[in-house]
Amino acid sequence: MADEGFEARLAPLWHAGREGDEAAYRAALSLIALRLRAYFRPRMAGLPDDVEDLVQETLLAIHLKRATHDPALPVSNWLHAVARYRLTDVYRRRGRRGVPETLDGVDIEAPPDSGGVEASSARRDLGRLLGTLPDGQRQAIELVKVEGYSTEEAAARMGITVTTLKVRVHRGLQRLMTMVGNE
Amino acid sequence: MKTDELIGLLAKGAGPAEPAHEERRMALGVVLALPVMVAAVWAGIGLVPVALWPVSGTFAKFLYAGMMLFGGGLLLRRLGRPGAATGLPLALIGGTLAAMAMIGVADLLRQPEAGWSMHALGKSATTCPAAILFLSVPALAGMLWAARQLAPTQLRLTGAAAGLAAGGLGAVVYALGCDEGALTFLALWYSLGMALATLLGAVIGPRLLRW
Repeated sequence: MADEGFEARLAPLWHAGREGDEAAYRAALSLIALRLRAYFRPRMAGLPDDVEDLVQETLLAIHLKRATHDPALPVSNWLHAVARYRLTDVYRRRGRRGVPETLDGVDIEAPPDSGGVEASSARRDLGRLLGTLPDGQRQAIELVKVEGYSTEEAAARMGITVTTLKVRVHRGLQRLMTMVGNE
Repeated sequence: MKTDELIGLLAKGAGPAEPAHEERRMALGVVLALPVMVAAVWAGIGLVPVALWPVSGTFAKFLYAGMMLFGGGLLLRRLGRPGAATGLPLALIGGTLAAMAMIGVADLLRQPEAGWSMHALGKSATTCPAAILFLSVPALAGMLWAARQLAPTQLRLTGAAAGLAAGGLGAVVYALGCDEGALTFLALWYSLGMALATLLGAVIGPRLLRW
């Protein structure tokens, strides 16, 4: 692997997050966001304003698809494949053909000393998009994700089962990703 | 929304990752598609009585088509998990194809040369591949629906794997009504039918598997 340090730092946080450790998951996503920025920026040279949008939609995709990472395999390989796919998708949406050769690295590489790149501002406002979701999904996401209720509390407030609530949150985020992908 | 806010939102109350459970969707897709497929064979060409299965080579057909169903399904699941190795299912599919090709040739060579075209074409060489392709359509819908649970990054190849699995199932079901006993027939026309289903999957996959 090109960067064992990244894998070593990320893997424990990622796996703990997968088991339900919220703080570890947040830390894993923050680490990933830094890496994604460093990965996308040079590959989006013509579209610098879109880098942060792409970072955000990739984070959304990573969250929705995290179960497809086989825990026996390095998470950085999985991450790289997902990031590369999202980048290819943006090229396709922007009508650019093919993917530059620089994408063919095995691992996500970043300048060795930077630890990542500073966040720029996103052009697209996911918060605004969130507001356009169907009421049930929007409310479920707001209760759990913004106001911080537990799934049990949120389900009770909405008068639905915990399973239904989880499905609504997941569907809402999925819809968000579809909206982003079709713009 | 800033990226840090998004991260907070995603992590908040995330809980443990829910397994993708694509195998449940695959199984459900098969269970839903199967009655339609069997009914189509029954209505279209009738079923071969079980007592005649040894004559019609039905077990060999099940084995060959079943291997393709298994290999295609396994490939589909691997392709849906970024970073997972695809060597095993590819070797399984390639090995099965190679073995079937050799068996088909050997079977042909055992026949007198004058009877080769009869042996290879049987009575239904023109309808068999199209029937398998036709039968695979409901199964393909189920496979693609299952694959949407995953995160395929090579959409055309993933579509092809779904098509192969669906074609394998289509061929298994077609075997219920097919009375061609020659292994050469199986090697040629079942393979073509499954290849057509694979092609169909590769054509429609990229459109339906995007995420």
